[in-house]
Amino acid sequence: MHLPYSGAMCGILGLFNKTGIRLPAETFAAGLERLKLRGPDDSGIWRDEFAVLGHRRLAIVDLTAAGHQPMESLDRRYIIVFNGEIYNHEELRPRLKPRGEWRGTSDTETLLEAYGAWGVRCLDRLNGMFAFAIWDRFERTWFVARDRMGVKPLYYFDKDGRFGFGSRPGAVNVLLNGGTLDIDSEALRMYLELGYIPAPLSFHRDIRKLPAGHYLTVDGRGARCVRYWDYRPIKPDGSLDARPEGELVEELDALVQSAVKVRLMSDVPLGAFLSGGVDSALVAAAMKGAGVARPRTFTIGFNEKAFDEGSAAAAAAGRLGLDHVHETLDVNSLLELLPTYIQEYDEPFADSSAFPTMAVARLARRHVTVALSGDGADELFGGYHYYPLIERLSRVLGWRRGAKHAAARLFSALPGHRTKLLAGALESRDNVALFHFLRSVSKDYKPLLIDDDSRASADSESLFSQFACSFAMDLSAAETAMRLDAGLTLPDLFLQKVDVATMAFSLEARCPMTDYRLVEWSMRLPMRYKLRNGESKYLLKKVLRKYLPAEAVYRPKMGFGVPLAEWLRGPLRDWARELVHDDTLMSRLPLDKLRVREMLRQQADGKRESHPLVWSLLMLLCFMQAHGVRRALPVIAYREVA
Amino acid sequence: MARGRRRPRVLFLFTELYANGGIQRFNQTILEACGRLEIECRVLSLNDSPASVEDHRTGPAITVAGFSGSRRRFTLAAAATLLRRDYDRVLIGHVNLLTLFIGILSVVRYRPPQTLLIAHGIEVWSGLGRLRRFALSRTDRILCVSNYTKQRILEQAPTLAAERLVIFPNALADTWARAAPAAPTRTLPERFILSVTRLERGDRYKGIASVIEAFSMLADRSLEYLVVGHGNDLVFLEAIARRCGVADRVHFVRGVSDSELITLYERCEAFVLPSGKEGFGIVFLEAMFFGAPVIAADEKGAKDVVRDGDTGLTVRFGDTIGIKEAIERLASIPALRARLCAAGRATVIEGGPFTFDRFAERCAVNLGMDEPISA
Repeated sequence: MHLPYSGAMCGILGLFNKTGIRLPAETFAAGLERLKLRGPDDSGIWRDEFAVLGHRRLAIVDLTAAGHQPMESLDRRYIIVFNGEIYNHEELRPRLKPRGEWRGTSDTETLLEAYGAWGVRCLDRLNGMFAFAIWDRFERTWFVARDRMGVKPLYYFDKDGRFGFGSRPGAVNVLLNGGTLDIDSEALRMYLELGYIPAPLSFHRDIRKLPAGHYLTVDGRGARCVRYWDYRPIKPDGSLDARPEGELVEELDALVQSAVKVRLMSDVPLGAFLSGGVDSALVAAAMKGAGVARPRTFTIGFNEKAFDEGSAAAAAAGRLGLDHVHETLDVNSLLELLPTYIQEYDEPFADSSAFPTMAVARLARRHVTVALSGDGADELFGGYHYYPLIERLSRVLGWRRGAKHAAARLFSALPGHRTKLLAGALESRDNVALFHFLRSVSKDYKPLLIDDDSRASADSESLFSQFACSFAMDLSAAETAMRLDAGLTLPDLFLQKVDVATMAFSLEARCPMTDYRLVEWSMRLPMRYKLRNGESKYLLKKVLRKYLPAEAVYRPKMGFGVPLAEWLRGPLRDWARELVHDDTLMSRLPLDKLRVREMLRQQADGKRESHPLVWSLLMLLCFMQAHGVRRALPVIAYREVA
Repeated sequence: MARGRRRPRVLFLFTELYANGGIQRFNQTILEACGRLEIECRVLSLNDSPASVEDHRTGPAITVAGFSGSRRRFTLAAAATLLRRDYDRVLIGHVNLLTLFIGILSVVRYRPPQTLLIAHGIEVWSGLGRLRRFALSRTDRILCVSNYTKQRILEQAPTLAAERLVIFPNALADTWARAAPAAPTRTLPERFILSVTRLERGDRYKGIASVIEAFSMLADRSLEYLVVGHGNDLVFLEAIARRCGVADRVHFVRGVSDSELITLYERCEAFVLPSGKEGFGIVFLEAMFFGAPVIAADEKGAKDVVRDGDTGLTVRFGDTIGIKEAIERLASIPALRARLCAAGRATVIEGGPFTFDRFAERCAVNLGMDEPISA
């Protein structure tokens, strides 16, 4: 009999004031209310003179008083609020000697006692997805931590002797300044360059996102942010090259199995997303290997063949013997989810694959409460299409400046959107800049910001370069790109997307590929086991070949895309036009209005394909609209406008 | 000097002599050694200007000519000097000059008795193309500043006879040993860690960004961080310090004289340079000599100088957690700090492997002081 998890599917919030809490109780409650969707079934607030902690909980498991949060330690020194799961908490319990009897069986209680016993070093022993905060009422200090790969989000502020934190920036902002929006100019610039806001920034001035693998200690002198886990300096291990490939396949398979197995423990129905691609199929295969007789899997397919992976998923499910649930939609029906999208992503967020993610989460939630997803494998094992491209282009970066510039000018003179992008890529100074160019939404478009603060702030390439400064020496261009994706894009874009999209439908997502043992192993894996002769995820596919025939493994990657460009020319055209012509709304942002409108017009008329940047702008405007409370969120009835 | 032997004459071809940087310091040290050994030296320095040559004194047997970066004039001067055919050794200070030199030899149709090359580090670790490999094959002896440098050359040019590659580590220049600290011209923090390096964009492998990140994680907020150096990456590094919330405690200082630098070495809590590509790392020797405990990366040439737990602490390159913990260990374990300082200093004082005396001995062997000079 395993122990249940009580920390999962939650929203947490807290505040500290070294001179004593003066925030009205109703304001804190209002902040907590912002987290209601993350935990609609139960809530709790704990307070003393200097600190207040709040928790919202979704009823998945253990709704007894023993699982209630905020939770006090047995000696009543520590109080915790916790969002996430500690997968190995059963292993940890025997090593802990709580001062008294265990009151319940939850991982929250294990975590609390682990901190009491091992202090900050408890993080080294945890395997899980988590964001938690522990208040030490004797020392009047906080210990706040986020999991290694950033599956669970955590935002905080540290200002004028006050420290606040929470699961979402909107809730934290209520504690900071009553919810008034004050935009961080550096974050705005990064958002317009990337389509998301990388840690440690957040859209709200003075609110920070705790980076993955970090903890905070907070006392009367303020907050200190410390990294406790780092894959960046791990060197590829040349000795793996000397081992037979079959051994590596078995080792990787065992690691995936283990990562999946620890994530299977649940008191509630559990399933997995299945896209038809390598990662989710491997997760489903590992579920079977771990003893689930007929894992339940979920896929959405589309009537439009260009976006449909439903048949591939169904074929994989048949071969793997899965209990497969498939729903076919009209791709435009995803637009029904736009209000949910705008409501739930409470800082600007422009990844349109959130729509199909929300759709599959909605489908899965009708059948299960927990779903496993394959997120993380592309970044660790070389799945994205641009990795081989970066590897090839990086050779050109070594050319003399004049030759490089001449090649770029040649490409920019050729017709076609892609050649112009290639020309822009060739102007990159180094591998990090090249990756940044290919990953950005702004590409080579002229800056849209017109205020001095935003333009003077550091750009996102500088942040990427900072992150890459601690990479092991002598990595190839593609390895550099993968590590940047794993440390920045994965936690702050893709895992954020999954967290919010699933929480919106009260579904818990678990991502076995982000298991730290798998991450560390992948960093040691030499490049030729990731990309080989243009083949991506070389070794991972070899593992999947154990379970599926070659035609199911070696099929083109599709991605979880939506027809954004077509939407902007069709069903969303009028809505988008109305947004960018809203002078009141536009006046709240330091944007070059004319350029924004021209860009939308060119996109809508099909003259220039700039939909990632246009979509980012539209999502920014939607966010401003929603938080300006000027009018209700748009409701798109796709059938009427299509 | 052995009785009955005339002083050898050596022609030096350097890229640069009078500037800050590891290679330049190495060149200065080798000339200092030649001065002590009374070797007759003619130095052609590509990038030094005649004015900077004028500003610096050398020993009576050493003449230096600067060419302000003019490769044409440098080449002509080298050819003219070689045509005189009165040098026993030619020492090439940088692989970038080696192919040029071999080209000159083919034009003047002369081969000096012995050609030596100094292989410092990054410039020979990769990209040894066919031309350079050919030039290396025509070189009698390659003086490698570290084991790693030797290993990388042999990996790229496996046909080279290994015995032609000699480990020739750097040393603390004698001028450092004689120098006295000067009162700082600026107010120094009470307690600080120190880095000394170039701050160019191309030098991000020096690890300063990682040190700033590690520094921001320290609980001890009374500690400050001094980075001595300048370059075009300053704005980037300042942005990192701002983002990490330590901009008020990270100080980038330039224009520090050698005597002021001694004061910084003497007063710092630790000298931290977790560089990923040091050919050797002469600054480690300087720090050790003046009693600073050293934190380095266990990478490349630095491994010959900083031995973990013995002459310093080493971390993986980029390991911000490791750097933070190393700084904390030095601060919290005085006995460890004292032991590392003593062992580090022992490598650069009497009897140590990196003393100027030992360096001069190696020069004597390699520049022909201990063997008969051919006529």
